[in-house]
Amino acid sequence: MTRLAVAGARKQYGGVTALADCSFAIDRPGIYGLIGPNGAGKTTLFDAICGDITLDAGRILLDDADVTGFAPHRLATRGVARSFQECRVLPEATCRDNLCFAMQPKGLAATLRQAMTRGLDARARAEADRFLDLVNLTRYADAPASVLSFGQRRLLEIACTLVTRPRILLLDEPAAGVNPVLLDTLSAAIERQHREAPGVMLIVEHNMEFIMRLAGEIIVMHQGAVLERGTPQDVQASARVVEAYLG
Amino acid sequence: MTAPRMLAWPALAALLYAVPAITSDPYVLHVLVLATLWTIPAIGLNLMMGYTGLVSLGHMGFAGAGAYLGAVLMVDAKLGFWWSALAAALGAGLLGAAVGAICLRFRTHFFMIVTLAFGLLLFSVFNNWDDVTRGAVGFPGIPRPPAINFGETTVRFGPLPNFYRLALTCALAMLVLQWLLVRSDFGRVLMAIRQDERLAQARGVNAAAYKIAAFALGSAIAGFGGVLTVSFLRVAAPASFNLAESINAVLIVVLGGAGSLAGPALGALVFVALPEYLRMAAEWRLVVFGTLLVLAMRFAPDGLAGLARAAAGALRRRGGT
Repeated sequence: MTRLAVAGARKQYGGVTALADCSFAIDRPGIYGLIGPNGAGKTTLFDAICGDITLDAGRILLDDADVTGFAPHRLATRGVARSFQECRVLPEATCRDNLCFAMQPKGLAATLRQAMTRGLDARARAEADRFLDLVNLTRYADAPASVLSFGQRRLLEIACTLVTRPRILLLDEPAAGVNPVLLDTLSAAIERQHREAPGVMLIVEHNMEFIMRLAGEIIVMHQGAVLERGTPQDVQASARVVEAYLG
Repeated sequence: MTAPRMLAWPALAALLYAVPAITSDPYVLHVLVLATLWTIPAIGLNLMMGYTGLVSLGHMGFAGAGAYLGAVLMVDAKLGFWWSALAAALGAGLLGAAVGAICLRFRTHFFMIVTLAFGLLLFSVFNNWDDVTRGAVGFPGIPRPPAINFGETTVRFGPLPNFYRLALTCALAMLVLQWLLVRSDFGRVLMAIRQDERLAQARGVNAAAYKIAAFALGSAIAGFGGVLTVSFLRVAAPASFNLAESINAVLIVVLGGAGSLAGPALGALVFVALPEYLRMAAEWRLVVFGTLLVLAMRFAPDGLAGLARAAAGALRRRGGT
């Protein structure tokens, strides 16, 4: 069974081709790196998989089911989680509440029923605290997320995606703006969570050292299409990849 | 929550119920009733504006829809007060859902403009549909709620003190409802939508459905408040539900503190009572009031509730705990 497949994806913005017949399939759980020069179409591809944009042509398949054109919230309920390049957390909510929000049921009928019967679930809070510990944010559990540094906010955002145990996790430049010490915390958290609940993790990243160490397989994009795919060693040795990067 | 804080709320409620025993001045009670009646639609708007981030400039239109629906049911259909009030709240809620589904295709200031248009539209219906709403002259003869028997004693809602206690009970019930909604998973979703809608959607929230639900709930609460108001005034007049009143509702929520539980009550009390107090300034009254509002926006952007929180925090720090 194919976990995630993109078939013939095309997207144009005015005269700019962001995706040009981009196709690939991921069959097994694992950590996959998605790299490529600036403007290769990585974020556009992410937005398409998450339903934030609609493709001009092509299809997105999730567990062999066609999910092309699904709204973001429908994809999320099917187990797709993402982080954002610009890093998004709920600034006014406490760190713990950010995690509680990620975990809680989102269906309107379910939450309205819950409103009349009970308050915060103690088990959910314990789980939230466990994930705060995983990314070293326990001290900030009751502080609003707006007091965090950018790097810490990034860790919180990624903890929020991990806590839902997604089947498909898309991380958009998780290492950008994170200092080296937090970076180790981050990769440890990602690896640990991947061992506990294996799914497909697709990570866009420019920090080569970080992604080559973390990922089992690298997908290289160039000019809106997949250029090369293989182990980190193979990709680094590929003449085509070197040429794409150096122009 | 500490023991003194848990006792503070019942104590405050008891004090509010005791007001008619402390003062029998009908003028004071009348002002208090109006403030209490304003609290209810303000709670509805607070759910939309303070928690979900939907600033509606037509909110009192929905209070009016509830009020007129209740009036027609009571006077023309001879339905009982409480059944009419329930039906009016449901009707206003359904109207809110339908109008919300249209308005919510727009965002931010476009949304505000569309809600304003719907508010004006509802006002014209109240003002011109003579056969049903009795038009600009108003809908007379709306009854007070029926008397309630507590064993030997019969409580009638004609006398001001009793109506005050009834309005207070209804407002407190709505405050409890607001508290239940806000502290729940439902409330957390609403607040997430206000803070970052795109993030909320990426986490699985059907933002459109939640915003329509918030619009419907806010309108239903406003509709209930509308019925109670016209029952107090004994007449439903279109001018009670026009654009100026909708803007007043926004002012009350902002003045009290949008997105705080006590905000609507604090805002309504100050908004209704302060102009009365300012009567000594005679024709300068509204100028002084407007100036005070501007100063409040400048120096207390989180409203009176925010001011109270800051004061409590300062006291705690001084106490050294």
